[in-house]
Amino acid sequence: MESGPVDLGGFYGTVDIHLELEERLAKFTGREEAIIYSYGFATISSAIPAYSKRRDIIFCDEGVCFAVQKGLAASRSKIKYFRHNDMDHLEQLLEEQLKLDKKNPAKEKVTRKFIVAEALYMNHGDLCPLPKLVEFRNRYRTPIFLEESLSFGVLGEHGRGATEHWGLKPGDVDLICASLETAMGSTGGFCAGKSYVVDHQRLSGIGYCFSASMPPMLAAASIKGLDIMEGSPQIFSQLRDKAVAMRRLLRGTPGLRVCGESVNPVIHLQLACPSSSRDTDDELLERVARECIDSGVAVVVAKYLKEELKLPPASLRVTVCVELSEDELEKAAKVIKTAAAKHIL
Amino acid sequence: MQVMSATAITNPNASWLNTRGMWLGYLTSVAILHFILLSVPLFSTAMAWTLTHVVHNVGMYIMFHHMKGTPYPTGDQGDVRRLTNWEQIDNGHQYTPTRIFLTSVPIFLFFLASFYTFHDRAHVTVNLIALAVGVIPKFPALHKFRLYGINRY
Repeated sequence: MESGPVDLGGFYGTVDIHLELEERLAKFTGREEAIIYSYGFATISSAIPAYSKRRDIIFCDEGVCFAVQKGLAASRSKIKYFRHNDMDHLEQLLEEQLKLDKKNPAKEKVTRKFIVAEALYMNHGDLCPLPKLVEFRNRYRTPIFLEESLSFGVLGEHGRGATEHWGLKPGDVDLICASLETAMGSTGGFCAGKSYVVDHQRLSGIGYCFSASMPPMLAAASIKGLDIMEGSPQIFSQLRDKAVAMRRLLRGTPGLRVCGESVNPVIHLQLACPSSSRDTDDELLERVARECIDSGVAVVVAKYLKEELKLPPASLRVTVCVELSEDELEKAAKVIKTAAAKHIL
Repeated sequence: MQVMSATAITNPNASWLNTRGMWLGYLTSVAILHFILLSVPLFSTAMAWTLTHVVHNVGMYIMFHHMKGTPYPTGDQGDVRRLTNWEQIDNGHQYTPTRIFLTSVPIFLFFLASFYTFHDRAHVTVNLIALAVGVIPKFPALHKFRLYGINRY
């Protein structure tokens, strides 16, 4: 039984089903073209260095996830971080750059600038104010690369992502990158945007050129996932309602604090009183998670590497799925509350 | 960046002039240029030689000392974007065989041009200026030098 084509995407590895998935994803997100990566982490971390090189400037949010951070490091560009979701700080940085550009127009002509943000932050759980970013994009002529791993299949009336959620046009965001390993439940990821933007990654996207392509069966699974998403558009509002309900149920968990945007199905439960040692906090949360798993509720401790730019607070991560019923949500919340009460206080 | 070409050579510009047949091809091109100019009935032999020298040096200046970066994306994230072709040769190492060869071609042409123009004052003046254009940018001391910021970005 064949597990995959085991060859490079640009060579023998691309099968007709990959092309079909790319077309379907492009159509679903309302964009001209999409490109598929076989590993979700590699999607954004290959997309950024494909466009941004040395001596280019990237304005990036501090709270981005590790994949984006690796993409920024690989690009070798000058990164200007703005405080998490602080649009005033971003505006200040863009204005400073504008002043420098006016002083040296020859340098400005050869310097590319980008804004990188996540639609729904993995480490923090909150939304980025996309309309403000689009306003900056138009005012300062700086393209936006948006990481949509958590918002694809979650936000928007039809699940198309952050642009639909905020009522913007798909053309307002230059490139979206999303992992298919989250809402879609498959492997890999995709980038979507205008044809001439996305086409560049076919030769310059390192994770596309130098990596084997996605197993065709999982591409087929993603296509089926898209069929479900297009066929039952009510599941997205149901998912968001369940996320809100779960957050309400989890409020009042002893020792833990519910964080993030209310419609985000990925719920971070941060420790209300963290100790000075991160290891102790993690061990404590590990015990709570273990207790929950033993009682039949899958809860994990949010894990980070030491190389993270800004280590988020220690937290448990609870993810709501649209298939869960109200009873199951209540049962899960009860289990989590009991486990927290037992170990934290 | 081509598929199936993951090599350690991140910038082909550094080594393409070392490849097999490049030097001979270069000299042959100069010879062809000279024969074309000789064939034009308007030019005397002296004029043809001076023109060869001048055209060669000006063309060399544009190709090696004015154009920067690479026409294709390289594997080094744009490290050489601000370097001229000459500065990229052999990744910036000086006194390599290719650099010595390419420096000696304008000098050799200058001697030939001076000889075939019978050291006529006007011709020698023009040829000296062309020699300066051809050789001064190649000095190792002027590596990455930009006069008054011209051509920096």
